[in-house]
Amino acid sequence: MLSLLMQHVAQSGSDAAAAAAADAGSSPIFWFIVLGYFAVVLGFGSYFARFNKSTSDFFFGGRRFSWWLITMSIVATGVGSHSFLKYSGKSFEHGFSGSMAYMNDWFFMPLFIFGWLPIIYYMKVRSIPEYFERRFNAKVRALATGVLLMYMLGYVGIGLLTMAKTLGPILGDSWSLMEIIWVVAVVAGVYITFGGQTAVIFTDLLQGFILLFAGILLFVLGLNWFGGFDAFWNTLPTEFKLPLSNFNDDPGFNFVGIFWQDAVAGSIGFLFMNQGLVMRFLACRSVDHGRKAAAFNILFALPISAIAVSCAGWIGYGMMTQDPTLVSPDTDPDTVFVIVTRILTTKAGFGFFVAAVTAALMSTVDTLINAISAVFVNDVYEPISKLRGIQHDDKHHLKVAMIASAGATVIGVGAAWSFSLFDNLYEAHGFFHSTFTPPLVACIFMGIFWRRFNTKGAMATFLAGTVMIILGRLLPHELIGPIAHGVPSIDPETGEALSTPFKYIGALYNLMACFGSGIVVTLLTAKDNKDLEGLTMFSLTAARRMFKGSEPNDRVGFPQTVTYELDTSLPIGAIRMDREAMNHLAAEQGDLAYVCDKRKWLGGLRSAHAHFDGVHSSGETVLLSQDIYDNGHFLPGKLLVVEKEF
Amino acid sequence: MDEFPDFDRSWLPYIYLYGVGGIFFLGGMLLVFKSGACDWARASHRRWAKVLIFGYFWYAAIHGVLIYSALNI
Repeated sequence: MLSLLMQHVAQSGSDAAAAAAADAGSSPIFWFIVLGYFAVVLGFGSYFARFNKSTSDFFFGGRRFSWWLITMSIVATGVGSHSFLKYSGKSFEHGFSGSMAYMNDWFFMPLFIFGWLPIIYYMKVRSIPEYFERRFNAKVRALATGVLLMYMLGYVGIGLLTMAKTLGPILGDSWSLMEIIWVVAVVAGVYITFGGQTAVIFTDLLQGFILLFAGILLFVLGLNWFGGFDAFWNTLPTEFKLPLSNFNDDPGFNFVGIFWQDAVAGSIGFLFMNQGLVMRFLACRSVDHGRKAAAFNILFALPISAIAVSCAGWIGYGMMTQDPTLVSPDTDPDTVFVIVTRILTTKAGFGFFVAAVTAALMSTVDTLINAISAVFVNDVYEPISKLRGIQHDDKHHLKVAMIASAGATVIGVGAAWSFSLFDNLYEAHGFFHSTFTPPLVACIFMGIFWRRFNTKGAMATFLAGTVMIILGRLLPHELIGPIAHGVPSIDPETGEALSTPFKYIGALYNLMACFGSGIVVTLLTAKDNKDLEGLTMFSLTAARRMFKGSEPNDRVGFPQTVTYELDTSLPIGAIRMDREAMNHLAAEQGDLAYVCDKRKWLGGLRSAHAHFDGVHSSGETVLLSQDIYDNGHFLPGKLLVVEKEF
Repeated sequence: MDEFPDFDRSWLPYIYLYGVGGIFFLGGMLLVFKSGACDWARASHRRWAKVLIFGYFWYAAIHGVLIYSALNI
């Protein structure tokens, strides 16, 4: 792969730029910046290890964080190292429409905001497979566990391999592909293993800012190269500037196929079946903060991310039209990010951009590894232990979680090696992504929004759906052709049949196969005899009641800023305030509370959830039980803010 | 020569995106109201319903402006 990439770069006609990229890799300042970045990330991870006292902390960060922290973490998770290469490449080839996949995620937000998010939060669902057992049965959970683990481990492999492909030309022949993969994997694995979800969230915060800053800076540098936005805009042909691609002409990149693959299947997958993202939302301090994180991410962060990851392609195309000797028309699209970055930056700046791409990888891989660990502990280790009649305490599970994180990193390296054997990484990625995700997506969707959907239907979605997906790959013209919206199955330039036709529109067939299997079998079989309270969006009031343990109190109150004292006589999870504060909070005995350090910039790092227990007459102070004091990591002398949840 | 894109290339994808996508969005909104998941009596739910509608038109406006700009500026 490495020599292939180098060959492409050499043949692109931009030998000067390619040589400069390799030259940057031999510069001390370049390495100072890249290694400095690794050191900062490892330091962050090590620092946050102290906040892991339980699996709740390790997997969900103690359910304490503010929406803005989670938003940046989602940005960093969503932008992978492949994003810079892939979207710059697509944008170089097809224009602004190359990034249209970043701008089509809103259509399913109603069902996420009012459906899936409250269900997983209030029902304390720790993993997607766990939801499947509660909704259906243990067999469906086992199927979902297998599919999800294979999907996530494969994704770790792809991320590591893409990173190695990016660093390869810079490092030259002295580093092999697997050596690069191991180094990146070890750094990521160490801080996740010891730092858990808290480390993931805070390193993602850092990495999210680096990614966006790097991408926008590149865009500004590119505009400066042209002499301003007007000059850049006027360089580009009209069709290049359209934000959506051709409807169905080009089998290699067409709007209608990408709509079904990304706007529909991809968006549902991103919001509903991404275990890493689920855990991120569960790390929020409340459902409302989770909603804010999701909404802000899609409305504002994604369009900015689209510019950040795609601009190298736009800039490269503009450079090519102005000076084909600088960026050749024969440039391999996968190399345009590296080439444009090297043209626009100094060696130090190039080091910063390589660090940004590394940040993109690590922020995606860390989420996946933490998620794999969560699924392993929750859906493999614990159920097997229960079957054997063994009960473990949380400390034991925490140790297992850390070992699982390390194990997932190693298996991910193995997956990277096996993907390196494919000729085309993105086709391998596309195949495994489009095969594994539709059954999960269909099951979750119907499980949440259709009460009648039963266990037999869920099994059929997985089993029959997967068989039909494979049949679709074997008989594309017969099965996918009729619904392909006119997308051709032949190469428009040569007139020959494509070896993998309907690359994108095939997603519509896959969704129909999975949803169809589930719907038909459900309607032909008996209803489940199961209590579904809180597990569908038709019973969310019940879910809130179950979460609290009593009727919710939705009277509006006002947060109170107070000093605090430890009261070891209080029961577990309890806090106590004076009558006047309780009135301001509109709180009653047993209501849920959120106690947080007043310094908002901490993002909830020093906070805890509690319940109100009685009143005192000690003035403007809150009494904390021992466990609330410990879990909150509160510092002496600092003011706290107490809010009533419901 | 810079060829002017025809309707299939320019506005058809936009109409499909917000038409078919709009069906999914509207279906989702109807379901959240019908199921009781969105409780109009609660101020926060009313706020979120408005945010959701805003988001649909926000993206429709972004894409519309970009297409118009590409064709006319």
